[in-house]
Amino acid sequence: MTDHNDAPAPASAGKTIPFKCAKCDAPLGRPLVCDACHTLNASAMLTDYFTLLGLPRQYELDGQQLHRSFIDLCRHSHPDHAQNDSPKVQELHLRVSATLNEAHRTLKDPVRRAEYLLELLGGQSSAQDKRVPDGFLGTMMMMQEELAEAKAGGDAREAGRIASVMRTQRDGLMKRISNLFEEHRLAVSCEAVRKDLLDEIRRQLNAVAYVRKLLSQVEGVHA
Amino acid sequence: MPETGGIILGIDLGTTNSLGAYMTAAGPVVVRDAGGAALVPSVLAFGPDGQVTVGRQAKAHAVENPLSTIYSVKRLMGKSLKDVAEDLRVLPYAIKPGPNDTVLVDVAGSGRTPQELSAMVLEDIRRRAEAALGVKITQAVITVPAYFDDAQRQATRDAGRLAGLEVRRIVNEPTAAALAYGLDRKSDSCIAVYDLGGGTFDISILRCSEGVFQVLSTNGDTRLGGDDLDRELIDMLTGEIRARFGEELEFGPATRQALKAFAEEAKVRLSDYQQAKVQVDLGGGRVFERIITRDEFEARAAKWIDHTLEHCRRALADAGLAPGDIEEVVMVGGCTRIPLVRRRIAEFFGRNVYTAVNPDEVVALGAAVQAGILAGMKRDTLLLDVTPLSVGIETLGGGMGKLIMRNSAVPCMASETFTTCIDNQSAVDIHILQGERELAADCRSLGRFVLRGVPPMPAGMPRISVTFLIDANGILNVSARELKSGVEASVQVTPSHGLTAQQVDAMVKESYAHAMEDFEAHRVIDLRNEATRVINAIEKALGARGHVLAASDRARLDQAVADLKAAMKSEDGDAIDAAMRAANEAAQALTADQMNDVLRQTATGRKISEF
Repeated sequence: MTDHNDAPAPASAGKTIPFKCAKCDAPLGRPLVCDACHTLNASAMLTDYFTLLGLPRQYELDGQQLHRSFIDLCRHSHPDHAQNDSPKVQELHLRVSATLNEAHRTLKDPVRRAEYLLELLGGQSSAQDKRVPDGFLGTMMMMQEELAEAKAGGDAREAGRIASVMRTQRDGLMKRISNLFEEHRLAVSCEAVRKDLLDEIRRQLNAVAYVRKLLSQVEGVHA
Repeated sequence: MPETGGIILGIDLGTTNSLGAYMTAAGPVVVRDAGGAALVPSVLAFGPDGQVTVGRQAKAHAVENPLSTIYSVKRLMGKSLKDVAEDLRVLPYAIKPGPNDTVLVDVAGSGRTPQELSAMVLEDIRRRAEAALGVKITQAVITVPAYFDDAQRQATRDAGRLAGLEVRRIVNEPTAAALAYGLDRKSDSCIAVYDLGGGTFDISILRCSEGVFQVLSTNGDTRLGGDDLDRELIDMLTGEIRARFGEELEFGPATRQALKAFAEEAKVRLSDYQQAKVQVDLGGGRVFERIITRDEFEARAAKWIDHTLEHCRRALADAGLAPGDIEEVVMVGGCTRIPLVRRRIAEFFGRNVYTAVNPDEVVALGAAVQAGILAGMKRDTLLLDVTPLSVGIETLGGGMGKLIMRNSAVPCMASETFTTCIDNQSAVDIHILQGERELAADCRSLGRFVLRGVPPMPAGMPRISVTFLIDANGILNVSARELKSGVEASVQVTPSHGLTAQQVDAMVKESYAHAMEDFEAHRVIDLRNEATRVINAIEKALGARGHVLAASDRARLDQAVADLKAAMKSEDGDAIDAAMRAANEAAQALTADQMNDVLRQTATGRKISEF
């Protein structure tokens, strides 16, 4: 194992990658693969997931573009296509493939993508800041009570209704998070304002995690 | 036999049947015997002389010799005695506990691991392929149910090694099926593969675009299949037999094998006909006769089909899709011939199900395609699979701390940092788990390892990074290093339900040794058979035309035949071979005369102008 066997930590994100292919010296159009000689560039794994997949570093993304880019990079890096290469090259393909898979998984899911981007931008983790938006817990407590009542009474329709309210709640939170990220991206303002925005995203994300957990319990019962 | 021409054999190692396939420039091709049969029943019969037969012959042997006929071994792979308690009820052969919480099958007093038994089936498949292709085969891609856990995958890989095969890849069966079905597909679409085999059920959701097969999610049950439907019929029959002939009636192993065979046949028949007649001879003039209707069978099968739909629902949820998003439903496995299965699945997905290719062969064909990819024959096709179950470690308090989530694309990697809790602690004990439950005790234990060589430091100071890697086979690899000192800690995982690397190595060595003995034994048997043919031919010819031989030739021939008869009694293949050659040579005068005679006879009665 070499030094970079872990998924790229966001702390090291933003490092510059070489502009030229280490093997054939051709200029690199994208960080991971040399389009001239198809060699994998190991240092690409030091960059962030957005850059690795050739996407702008922002919350809103084009799902089709993510899929196409992922599939194309898989074609170049999958270990199955390096079976006749040296063990060293095979090992590189394995690591690159694992990193790509993790990058794709992170960016595909809106909540994981938001968490990752928040960390990249220097926001706090859920362990560091456990706050939720004002009034959120009250609403949740009410819903949980109603849900418990519906379940005790065997009212599946009412339980279904509450689950659907929760889903609406979750979607609303995600929309707000998207707007906050966009605001942060466009903000030309002092550090304090930007930090406030990140803190607000943190609180909204904590709320999403809460709703998601409740929903998985409700849906688990229904499944 | 010439060395392998780089051929990697694709093998579908099934609960009920197994078969091989290989890749050609024109596409994958199933290995068939001279009679055109591809399926080899995954059944082993152990003769009193220690000889093992595999396949159709072994299956025919089941009723007369129930205790030494072994089938459904796949159900035992990577399992403990506790895991298979339910199966023991219907399996006529005996099972006992093995090392590392595994099971051993009792064959004539000696315990055989499921790996060894599966290796015998794999070896038979390999020999068939070698006979069909005329080259030696040393590499294989073997398929497993997508929902197989780590221990079951490792056991399958070990079985391959024991069969003298380098297992280049373990591929999931539904994914293999998709590879075989969707070869020509160009457009971007989502498909579901519903695979209900003899003993296992899988559902996989895939997105296919331009030769890339991306598995989005998989779900299933490694203990649900045609065997369970057979068991429903067996339970029905035994219940009725007891009601008729007395509750105390005991079923011997032979009757149980017979019931199993009848149930299987009735199930198959009920796919094509509305009813099937079963007749069981219980001995002592007691004969049980029963006509089973399709409706009766469906009523008993329904709950199992409902279970599979539950798994379909979960797989769709994990893929983030609704039934309507699926553009094609592919049916795999013998049980998908059952009309009820087809009807229910079509209802669930709201579309017709697709079964154009033979559902028994499609998995092996897909394995051959993957073999072609690995051999570099197919660069335009790529398979991106997932791991079916989450992997994690036991946390303080007996919880399951997930490190890799189910349905993560493989290969995938996760790292976790550990530390020590007492000063100068030099080892850390780690328990690896697989499963979705919250408590460690409810998850499958994959193994334990002790991180040794931690440099002496105050408690909480060392930072040991452990990396869990699930490779493209879906098999877990663990490595560890201490970050402060950079010391690589040694990791030796002791499997909870399997063989250690050393045990497999020892078994491989032993099997090579045995393989040589086996080879010699086979050769001697073949030579004896041929020698008998030679002697018979000579004696027949002597009877017909012994008079044409000169006395000296006759004496020489008699001596050669006597020598050959003596040599046949020995175990020395070379001696038999030499004596046989000598006898053939001594008989040459006789055969030459015979040839002339044949020519004369042919010529008689024909006009010269005809020559």
